[in-house]
Amino acid sequence: MKNFKLYILAGILLATTFQLAAQGYKLPAYEKFKLPNGLVIYLMEQHEVPLISVSAILPAGAIYDGEQSGLASLTAAGLKHGTRSMTKAQLDEQLDFLGASVNTFASKESSGLSAKFSAKDKDKILSLIKEILLNPVFDSTEFAKEKRRLLVSLEQQKESPRSVIGAYFDKFLYGEHVYGNIVQGKISTVTPLTAEDLKKFYAANYRPDGSAISVVGDFNAKEMKATLTALFAGWKKGPKTTSANPASAAINKPSENRVLLVNKEDAKETTFFIGAPGIARNNPDYVAIDVVNTLFGGRFTSMLNDELRVNSGLTYGAGSRFSALKNGGSFIISTFTAGKTTEPAIDKTLEVINKLHTNGIDEKSLTSAKNYVKGQFPPRFETASQLAGLMTQMFWYNFDESFINNFEKNVDGLTVEKAKEIIAKYFPKDKLQFVLVGKAADIRKIAEKYGKVKEVEMKEEDKKSF
Amino acid sequence: MKKLFLPALLLLGLLGQAQLKADDVKTFTLKNGMKFLVVEDFSIPNANMYLFYKVGSRNEHQGITGLSHFFEHMMFNGAKKYGPKLFDQTMEFNGGANNAYTTENVTVYTNWFPASATEVIFDLEGDRISSLSIDPKMVESERGVVLSERSTGLENSPWEQLSQTLGGVAFLEHPYHWPVIGYEDDMKNWKQEDLERYFKTYYAPNNCVVVVTGGIKLEEVKKLAEKYLEPIPAQPAPPKVNIVEPEQTGERRVLVQKEAATPYLMIAYHVPEAKHEDYYALNILNSILSSGKSSRLYTTLVDQQQLATSVFSGFGESFDPTLFQIYGITAKGVNETALEKGIYEVLEKIKNEGITETELQKIKNQKLMEFYDQVETINGKSNNIGTYEVFFGDYRKMFDAPAAFNKVTAADVQRVAKKYFTRSNRTVGVLKSNTEE
Repeated sequence: MKNFKLYILAGILLATTFQLAAQGYKLPAYEKFKLPNGLVIYLMEQHEVPLISVSAILPAGAIYDGEQSGLASLTAAGLKHGTRSMTKAQLDEQLDFLGASVNTFASKESSGLSAKFSAKDKDKILSLIKEILLNPVFDSTEFAKEKRRLLVSLEQQKESPRSVIGAYFDKFLYGEHVYGNIVQGKISTVTPLTAEDLKKFYAANYRPDGSAISVVGDFNAKEMKATLTALFAGWKKGPKTTSANPASAAINKPSENRVLLVNKEDAKETTFFIGAPGIARNNPDYVAIDVVNTLFGGRFTSMLNDELRVNSGLTYGAGSRFSALKNGGSFIISTFTAGKTTEPAIDKTLEVINKLHTNGIDEKSLTSAKNYVKGQFPPRFETASQLAGLMTQMFWYNFDESFINNFEKNVDGLTVEKAKEIIAKYFPKDKLQFVLVGKAADIRKIAEKYGKVKEVEMKEEDKKSF
Repeated sequence: MKKLFLPALLLLGLLGQAQLKADDVKTFTLKNGMKFLVVEDFSIPNANMYLFYKVGSRNEHQGITGLSHFFEHMMFNGAKKYGPKLFDQTMEFNGGANNAYTTENVTVYTNWFPASATEVIFDLEGDRISSLSIDPKMVESERGVVLSERSTGLENSPWEQLSQTLGGVAFLEHPYHWPVIGYEDDMKNWKQEDLERYFKTYYAPNNCVVVVTGGIKLEEVKKLAEKYLEPIPAQPAPPKVNIVEPEQTGERRVLVQKEAATPYLMIAYHVPEAKHEDYYALNILNSILSSGKSSRLYTTLVDQQQLATSVFSGFGESFDPTLFQIYGITAKGVNETALEKGIYEVLEKIKNEGITETELQKIKNQKLMEFYDQVETINGKSNNIGTYEVFFGDYRKMFDAPAAFNKVTAADVQRVAKKYFTRSNRTVGVLKSNTEE
């Protein structure tokens, strides 16, 4: 392959939220309403194919895990382990027979459900979705099986630097803040979990107020409104209030360069992240930051990929991204290189950072980035699933269609001068946080060049924080 | 957005509106033999261009393994009008993005761009197909990139190592024997003349099928194709791949040492190429085995017996006879031989008792949804049309596929299971930490 999808998606992670403003595009008309229990529902008719897509978002992500890392993720998976009206096997059988997909998952802040099915099956599948969200039973036998699979998978991930480096980085950057929580969990915390823990987590966090469901596709909005109201109006409000959001605590900012060296005894390459605190999703400069990051590390010809891959052949790819959450976020440069070229690869990365700050961005590059960002977004909202996902993001991060409809204008409004300010304000040049996964014996000395080193074993369970 | 264009739906008895007919795919062939397939679709202001070159690792020989994939990289490193870096810089400046991939059979270049930039894309493609420059300095730098690509694959996934080793044993003579990425020593030793010969032979317009879908008129595509691509001279047809893998006459087994939490298992059976009459029955058999959590392998081995943490199967399009693969990761505390035995029991049950009508209908329902997924986007359309044209010999076969799927009976599925899932026809690979015991 020429390059990983990474480079296409590397902009701001929520790149999927941009769209349709380009070339006169607007977000198609949609309807939004709120049930008395607080559940927000979005409906958008799209009749080109006889399909319906559903996206749901709930305030039940890993930030609520407490000491039980992995609990939110297992609870989300457990939603499909059977309901009051059907066993897991019956549920799977029914969905598979109709060629329908219904997935449940947790992320850092939220949990979610996404579904896609044939329009003719809408009554059946929407009822199943309601059962999955409102009446899961968290069967203990199914949970035991799920846990057993997860524990093996957590052990396997320790053999793949790419699978674990993100969790190491978040823990290293965020420390005790809940944004450092590891979504998939850890062996030591997953082992003692029981189906009872899932039931408790579900009772505390799955609730209509603070949640949203969007439905996009081939249906009549009036009928769909009646169907969804009938299905979800009986869902009882939860006990939790929004002020209980554990993510609202302040995030400590690093005061110096630090290096986390993760030893993988049989590593042939060094996989590394270099990063710093980033931005919250509601940052007013969000679009401008995305355009600048496109130039820095968000596409194939970006400064990072150009230097580390194209000019020097040190790696298959290098990129950067901002991961933006509700109350903060991270900025990460990521790449990998052969063990023996670790030092030149890191040095070149730092050179590129310096170049960004010293030389800034010229008019031609800025125009190119603007064209690129605008040109690539219509396909991001081509399907019903993409549109359904967009609307739950709008709900979660509290923005509306003006963000999309004004996107082109906001991109075009970025000047070279403003770009310079964006670089100075949001792109770090010091107090960098390094995570290196590789053979420590060979790269320990090199690591020391960049900051105070903390060393851990990839095979061992990580401590609470670094 | 998306007009549906597979009468699939009609034939499966579920369709109403909006399907595209075979007639809606327009075709023309330039004087140099380059064939175009065009679908006008103004649902979004974007378009794409997919170029399928009929060259992959099956066209290599030992000494130049990995060259097809390396060439895929070199195609971005400068030509006559657009020098080093300018292909990507120009495309991105005009709002376009691209990628490319190489398989055993084909090398595919994909461009995604605002429809208004179509002419630039034609200019860029015309330049590199007609006059790629193979600069030795670029070759050296790019060699580092593909070596990194190889190494990062091996570093991050045990499957990479296991499937490369297994392929080398399942195919002893046919070029599917070596991995697409190539042997490390070959990768370090490709010569300038290898590259030049490869380009001339395989990157000929008559060895390429181009698919364009999006907000652009057929007439415009034709005009641009004539201007930018027709002047490129045709070349003699590339040499045929003559080697046919001899019939396997006994089970083969390989063991690979690599640190792994639990053993990885892979079982592969020789099966025919895409144009073979058994293709559709094998395709359905593949879904019966591993599509969804109610599939045979998942319910039996992951859910009920808990011998595996995950299990899946694979069967894809190819020019020459290929492999039907079954993969599994052993559960904790389970011996991989128990999982292997469990897989055979699932296969034997299908061989002996067949599948149910409900199961068959389930898969046909899933195929319908797959079709929708594949043609919901302009990219899915180009990819599907190109795949049928290249692997099945005619894009119109795509319109026959639903009937072909519908014709498959439970008895056909049982027949192909019996025919191909035999002990002598399989190769078994195991990857685990301790290979000494």
